[in-house]
Amino acid sequence: MAAPVIAYKFLDEGRVAPFTRYRWPEGEWVETPAAVPCEAGIHACRVADLPFWLGRELWEVELDGDVIAFERKVVAPRGRLTRRVEAWNRSLAGEFAAALLVHTRRRFGSVPVLSGFVGDIAQFRATNRVPLAGFAAARAAELSGGPRAYEEERLRQAHWLADRLALGEH
Amino acid sequence: MRLDRELTCAQLVEVITDYLEGALAPVDVERVEEHLVFCDGCTTYLEQMRATVAMAGRLRAEDIPPELQERLLGTFREWRRL
Repeated sequence: MAAPVIAYKFLDEGRVAPFTRYRWPEGEWVETPAAVPCEAGIHACRVADLPFWLGRELWEVELDGDVIAFERKVVAPRGRLTRRVEAWNRSLAGEFAAALLVHTRRRFGSVPVLSGFVGDIAQFRATNRVPLAGFAAARAAELSGGPRAYEEERLRQAHWLADRLALGEH
Repeated sequence: MRLDRELTCAQLVEVITDYLEGALAPVDVERVEEHLVFCDGCTTYLEQMRATVAMAGRLRAEDIPPELQERLLGTFREWRRL
């Protein structure tokens, strides 16, 4: 028997999917007729995808059936929420934004033009716009080192989250 | 059309109708939704578009007053001349 595929879902408050507004049940299997990326199926994150989809609640989701890997997500025909990752909360989101600020300041704080991102991230942190802070840190890296640097910065963010949330690699 | 990996707000506005109609390729849907995760302005814009579509979708031709209908048609005729 194949091992279950464990992935993650960021949801709005009350287990509501941010794009479809579907309210997820806790622990019950949810089935769809097919798994088609961005069209149908249970969409979830691997650890490396987490920084792109930050939301209010983080849930562990068990996937079943043929799991399709897409650029920044995985899709399966069946899935169920198995547990909420309680460590992801407003406080840790704030710590994440603070870490982004420190990192970006260290890398680009004295670099003309790019140093502007430091102030931007500080503002995003102060206004709890944490996903935007993550994006800004990656954009600063991209402007310095190209698209690959963007992806590397996002991966660094994913590692930070996985470490602090004690998530396994899936 | 293949969208850039990271969308700008202007690009998102251009494709928002296709997004709502399900006419974008999966890879582009992903890009739109990635942008929406961090962009409050575009999220608000999307909500406004959804509300507009929901309200306008209930309109029938006879719901539009003749005077307004004539003004709209006049505007469209002017566009054609540009």
